[in-house]
Amino acid sequence: MNWDAWIPLLVVAISLLLSLIIFSLAEDSVRLRTMLNLFGNFATLALVIWMFVRVYHGHVFETRLPLLADLDLVLRADPLALLFVGLSSGLWLLTTIYAIGYLKGSPNRSRFFGFFSLCVTATTGVALSGNLLSFLLFYELLTLSAYPLIVHHGTAKAYRAGQSYLAYTLCGGALLLLGTVWLYTLTDTLEFTPQGFIHGLNEESRFSLVSIFVLLIAGLGVKAALVPLHSWLPTAMVAPAPVSALLHAVAVVKAGAFGIVRVIYDVFGAERAALLGLTLPLALLAAVTIIYGSLRALFQDDLKRRLAFSTVSQVSYIVLGVAIAGPIATIGGLVHLVHQGLMKITLFFCAGNLAKTLGIHKVSEMNGVGRRMPWTMTAFTIGALGMIGIPPTAGFISKWYLGLGALEAGQEWVIIVLLSSSLLNAAYFLPALHRIWFQSPPDAWPDEHDIGNKETAWALLLPPVVTAVMAVTAGLLATAPFSPLEWVQLIAEREFYQP
Amino acid sequence: MNMMPSGGLLLLAVGWPLFLTLLLVFKRIRPVVLHLASWAALPALLASLLVAPSGMRWHLPWMMLGSELGLDTIGQMFLLPAALLWTVSGRYARAYFLKQEQRTRFYLFFLPAMGGNFALILAQELQGFYLGFTLMSFASYGLVIFNGTTAALLAGRVYIGFVVAGEVMLFASLILATYATGSTTFDVVRIGLIDADNREIVILLALAGFAIKVGVFGLHVWLPLAHPVAPAPASAVLSGAMLKAGLLGWLRLLPLGEVALPEWGGVIIVAGLTSAFYGVVIGVMQRDPKILLAYSSISQMGIITMTMGLGMLAPQAWPNILPGIAFYALHHGLSKGALFLGVGIAGSQDRLQRRWIWFALWLPALALAGAPWTSGMLVKHLVKAYTFYAPTPWNTLLLMLLLASTVATSLLMVRLLYLLRPSANPMGLAPAAGLVWPWVVLLLTILFAPWWLRPSSVQAGYMQALESLWPILLAYFVAMVVLRMGWFLSVQPVSADDLQLFLTRSVKSLCRMGINWAGIRYTVSEVQRRNRVRLINMVAVVMARIKWAEDYIACWDVAIFLVVVMILGMGLMA
Repeated sequence: MNWDAWIPLLVVAISLLLSLIIFSLAEDSVRLRTMLNLFGNFATLALVIWMFVRVYHGHVFETRLPLLADLDLVLRADPLALLFVGLSSGLWLLTTIYAIGYLKGSPNRSRFFGFFSLCVTATTGVALSGNLLSFLLFYELLTLSAYPLIVHHGTAKAYRAGQSYLAYTLCGGALLLLGTVWLYTLTDTLEFTPQGFIHGLNEESRFSLVSIFVLLIAGLGVKAALVPLHSWLPTAMVAPAPVSALLHAVAVVKAGAFGIVRVIYDVFGAERAALLGLTLPLALLAAVTIIYGSLRALFQDDLKRRLAFSTVSQVSYIVLGVAIAGPIATIGGLVHLVHQGLMKITLFFCAGNLAKTLGIHKVSEMNGVGRRMPWTMTAFTIGALGMIGIPPTAGFISKWYLGLGALEAGQEWVIIVLLSSSLLNAAYFLPALHRIWFQSPPDAWPDEHDIGNKETAWALLLPPVVTAVMAVTAGLLATAPFSPLEWVQLIAEREFYQP
Repeated sequence: MNMMPSGGLLLLAVGWPLFLTLLLVFKRIRPVVLHLASWAALPALLASLLVAPSGMRWHLPWMMLGSELGLDTIGQMFLLPAALLWTVSGRYARAYFLKQEQRTRFYLFFLPAMGGNFALILAQELQGFYLGFTLMSFASYGLVIFNGTTAALLAGRVYIGFVVAGEVMLFASLILATYATGSTTFDVVRIGLIDADNREIVILLALAGFAIKVGVFGLHVWLPLAHPVAPAPASAVLSGAMLKAGLLGWLRLLPLGEVALPEWGGVIIVAGLTSAFYGVVIGVMQRDPKILLAYSSISQMGIITMTMGLGMLAPQAWPNILPGIAFYALHHGLSKGALFLGVGIAGSQDRLQRRWIWFALWLPALALAGAPWTSGMLVKHLVKAYTFYAPTPWNTLLLMLLLASTVATSLLMVRLLYLLRPSANPMGLAPAAGLVWPWVVLLLTILFAPWWLRPSSVQAGYMQALESLWPILLAYFVAMVVLRMGWFLSVQPVSADDLQLFLTRSVKSLCRMGINWAGIRYTVSEVQRRNRVRLINMVAVVMARIKWAEDYIACWDVAIFLVVVMILGMGLMA
């Protein structure tokens, strides 16, 4: 029997099973739940690492289950899929550890971890989907499974945020479905193919193609928080910190960005999309989002809100990179998928630590907090500097490739966007860093919890430190084997620009 | 030395200070690490003395996008004074801060800045350079605001603003250069830029970006604020070593000596001369010796900048000019470092002790003024020789301006020594042994090292010595006359935030004039207040609008409406 055909399914199934088991667990069986969670995490991670090694040597894993008449449910581990799976399974492990520490002693944890696993199932599925239909299924599952996490606190504010989230994402899903069906009527296939599967379509179908592209991008753009479809994201930051971390770095937002990559490269093909005149408007929209997000972040005092607007801005780097549609810019965009994830999850972990340990929610309350929580704040500093794009952090590598790629594609204006974004990022992160390290701390923190002599609980401290180290390593050792950059270059060589 | 150990030594020169920074985090071993930290620049110093300069490169393919370290002749001319200054300041700092808490905080910023400085000198490709430059600039923020006073915080704000602006310009310049030449290696980029399409914009951005660090007039605003407020050992490396990073950036990146850049050369010469004179004119009015020294740095770097401009006019002379520029940088770095460290220990209550320090300060001051048999004399003669590369009518003018600037620099040094005279109020710390010894080592280096390192083209005979004596005598004479007439005492110092202040003042007085002329009765503050309130209101209204719009589109019914509109819009497109 060929096991390889089942491994992608297994990766998705582990977390699905895990969530079902956790739902059935009693609220107070903490130890069992933790064990199960960690077991699931590690099993998935091991499988993913194994797939990485095999795929590197040219192997392809594919699960194909019949679903509709001509359409299968396809899970395929190509290099691009693995990039996203690797990110999500790695950060899932860290976020689970973090969430265990963060939610210690709070109610409804079985519900939380159940949906948490379900969310990861959906994300992995989105990543591994081998055709647009499978993608759509998992994408919708993600929409729904994230809702209970966003409203987890059960406050009126949380419900309002959840409502806004659902309205946006369900509408986005509807658009996506519409676009998919329309596309199917034209092409009779939805299989993701390198350089697109829209062959032999002539000038008459131009309008349909443009409309389909707009529908798909609008549907995905809701999750990727493209302006003007971004408003749900800053509102959704009422969710608990681990959820925000997952939402902003891995799951929902990234699923949208990843979908856009798939649509441009594996549905339309970059060249055809450019010929249809679709990539430039998308790049412009991304540029507007980058600047607008940063401008709004500048005026937020609430830390998580500021970070949320920063996400709006940073995720569009990915969209910008793929929309420029040159080989180097694509590398910049794709690698930012991982880099932004590492840096942003660090920042959200740190924000959560501040809230949980000292009751700090606002930037203006962060005076001198570096002395109280040096490790957390070092991680925060690395994340913030990475967002500005200062070497040797991962953000610099992304920015370098984006800029170089833009020049290569003859889009010099992108440089100005990148530079302004750097300036704006500096303008809203550096003053915060000054506060953290150089202002004197207040007499008492807003709401300090007693954790003994330590900075904060281990489960809260470890994840941000690990992700911060990864964010620096990804930049400093960008050309080492199996670094995100090297992997993305492999993707670009094998899939997008194969000779 | 053979290849492997020298490569290792170069890597150690950069890595050791950074590694110590990491070790500083662990509380238990901190006393030991602090001991080591004061010697952190030693590997770099050894490297600059033991590694023979060559075109050899040590590749670090795993680092960033592939780095290269190497020590060429120019690199050595920059590494040697930098390493010496960092070593001396590192030792000096140990005695300067007596409490462990203060020491830790100081070295926590001092060490990464040091590592960054060495990295940028040794990097042979532009990303490694940029990494070092960034590390150095950002870590120095902690040094600038170390004292935590209001002035330090203001200086820090201005400083970091300029740093970020510089970073952004450099990033653009480097990425454009990489795109144009298809390489990140300096040797390739420099040649490739000669006939690159976007050469002018790369040069513009590089000139402006590095000019901030060098402190060229107009972009110098941060410098007289930041250098004096830092603790003495930090000021010494800020002025002595870190300013040179911008200069080295120019030398590494620009296609100097490969192609004539007459327009840029002209701009650079004017900018350099403006800085040279501006620095001494404003500097001589200062009462705080450290601010005076900061202005002197602007002036001296201005002369170096001008020399580079000459090289842009006459590329054929570049092989001749380049060693001169490097030598000037070395001379200024060592002398300025010694002056800053000396000012830091002029705080003894004992007159005799102060007199000793004061006399010792004469050495770097005289060197800077270009007195006979000092490194200053050598550089003055070098630069004078270079002025002949300028086209005919201008070279005479340039020569005269240069002589004037020599006199002015001497005047500045007289003023400095006057301010620090033993009968004046003590400033800085009392000279403890730990502070004096590193300083004395530096002074001895100033005395002897230049003779060993000078470019072969420079002559140092009795004629040159005699020639370099008269500007100093003239300056002394002028100073005596002025002192006798009592002007010296009544000179009001221009505040260190000169340009900002000047601009605000002129705008204010223009407003006042305009208002008087129009016969409006508002007082100035009234008009200003109203305008300010109006502006704030406008911003607030705009922000409120945006917030309202966001809240509005956050409602679900609007979301659905948007979707419907989008579908309809697509229908209309048909």
